[in-house]
Amino acid sequence: MTIFLQLVASGVAVGMIYAAIAFGYQLTFATSKTLNFGQGEALALGALFGLTLAPFTGYWLMIPLVLVFGFALGAVVERLGVRPAVKIKSEYGWIMATIALGIIFRNLAENIWGRDDLKFPSPLPEEALQLGGIRMLPMELLIIAGALLMMLAVEIFNRKSIWGKAVIATSNDIDAAGLMGINTKRVITLSYSISAMTAAFAGVLVAPVTLTGATMGAVLALKAFAVAIIGGLESGLGVIVGGLILGIAETLTGFYISTGYKDVPGLILLLVVLSIRPVGLFGKAVIKKV
Amino acid sequence: MLEVANLSAGYGQIEVLHGLSFQVPKGKVVTLIGSNGAGKTTTMRALSGMIQPRAGSIRLAGREISGLDSHDVARAGLAHSPEGRRVFPTLSVEDNLTLGAFPRLTGSRPKGDVSADRERAYALFPRLKERRLQLAGTLSGGEQQMLAMGRALMLRPDILLLDEPSMGLAPKLVEEVFRIIRQLKEEQVTMLLVEQFAMAALGVADYAYVLENGRIRFQGPAARLKSDPAVRAAYLGGDH
Ligand SMILES: Nc1ncnc2c1ncn2[C@@H]1O[C@H](COP(=O)(O)OP(=O)(O)OP(=O)(O)O)[C@@H](O)[C@H]1O
Ligand SMILES: [Mg+2]
Repeated sequence: MTIFLQLVASGVAVGMIYAAIAFGYQLTFATSKTLNFGQGEALALGALFGLTLAPFTGYWLMIPLVLVFGFALGAVVERLGVRPAVKIKSEYGWIMATIALGIIFRNLAENIWGRDDLKFPSPLPEEALQLGGIRMLPMELLIIAGALLMMLAVEIFNRKSIWGKAVIATSNDIDAAGLMGINTKRVITLSYSISAMTAAFAGVLVAPVTLTGATMGAVLALKAFAVAIIGGLESGLGVIVGGLILGIAETLTGFYISTGYKDVPGLILLLVVLSIRPVGLFGKAVIKKV
Repeated sequence: MLEVANLSAGYGQIEVLHGLSFQVPKGKVVTLIGSNGAGKTTTMRALSGMIQPRAGSIRLAGREISGLDSHDVARAGLAHSPEGRRVFPTLSVEDNLTLGAFPRLTGSRPKGDVSADRERAYALFPRLKERRLQLAGTLSGGEQQMLAMGRALMLRPDILLLDEPSMGLAPKLVEEVFRIIRQLKEEQVTMLLVEQFAMAALGVADYAYVLENGRIRFQGPAARLKSDPAVRAAYLGGDH
């Protein structure tokens, strides 16, 4: 029983990372019916950028800089990849464009930081804590708290600030939002920015417990995509539930079957998702009527 | 206040409006009447930038606004309460009203006192006040309509466009909507009104245009059109 609880506890930390990335998919999907298939690269770039900064700033001061970096990266993806595709009314052009940008970012990262995985120094002690018989790394607790805090902060922004309300209004009814004087194109850019910011933040959260490198986000982002589809692309807490279920399923698989198979539940989930809803997965992108 | 000349607009390949010209003077209420599919909603959409006109000019307080995106038209001072209400369902009544003042809160129109205006909207629509924290999607149709009107007023617009504010409402609420339009008129709010109840619209309006297949067929002071036998026969038949 203790082992089982132990596995569940470890699964929660991984699950929160999936939830955070899936949350990022939701943010852009809500406003524009599109999403960034380069989220994994945003995560990796965030982690690598943080790794470079950390020696100068320390871990904690590095975080706001990584957030700014992610924010800017999201705006670049939206302006270069998504907006042009939507503008020429290419219904799925944004998929190719965001994948392509992701590949470019990955190559860029490999050129700057190399192809080898790097070790991200842990900001917290690396000895596990005993919590009622369950051992957890301080870093795992930070992942859980950080991911929850980040989602909470975005929710508060959306609910309380005028720009956040504009984001919700745009998600509800983009034409009516325009009539309110809301520049909905800017809102979509903003949602891409916040989305990539969450991914970059997830990167610096997860990096100390995994390895850091240009490809570190690829599999995470793929599994988080499955989580987002299952948990609901529109909004809601479904992504947290979905992320936790997947995270726990993986640690259980890793222990009871083989660590070699621990990616299997997520990939099965992805296959199931794709076979249930192969087309029409996204509804329609925001294509303005003329 | 609003001067429209030779406005043409449509959807895709189809042209719906073929060169409309009309005016809405400051402080006046003008109504557009016409049968279903005549192009009333399309006119409203072209004015507010929801669709881009193909030709013609739209001047608001002397400034050319045709070709602007809808958010820039709103910032120029035109508020459009669209057909079908279009409130934001997952936001509260209060947030819906606040968003009506978005350009004022983000510096593209004079700010004034937004919370005082919200109170004024609640005074105009007391039902909304009781439901200020309720999500707009859970309001009744009538309440949503009041919210859509209140939200549009939050811009402190130079002109207010109302597209079928009484659509789908029970007779009692229709009366209520017209009472409010009359009250706004007394407060000198410039309005362009589209209504299925043409008689009632002519009752409140100063001037009217009759639209047929995307062209203006008749125009004149509302009182005169109201008693014009040709207009009555063609457009006001089923009305009371
Ligand atoms: N989104 C659209 N795409 C294509 N055609 C449209 C669209 N909206 C309206 N139309 C067409 O434009 C014409 C005018 O429609 P519009 O909605 O302006 O009429 P209306 O006068 O408002 O009618 P109603 O009284 O029924 O509201 C109609 O022939 C309609 O089919
Ligand atoms: Mg209409």
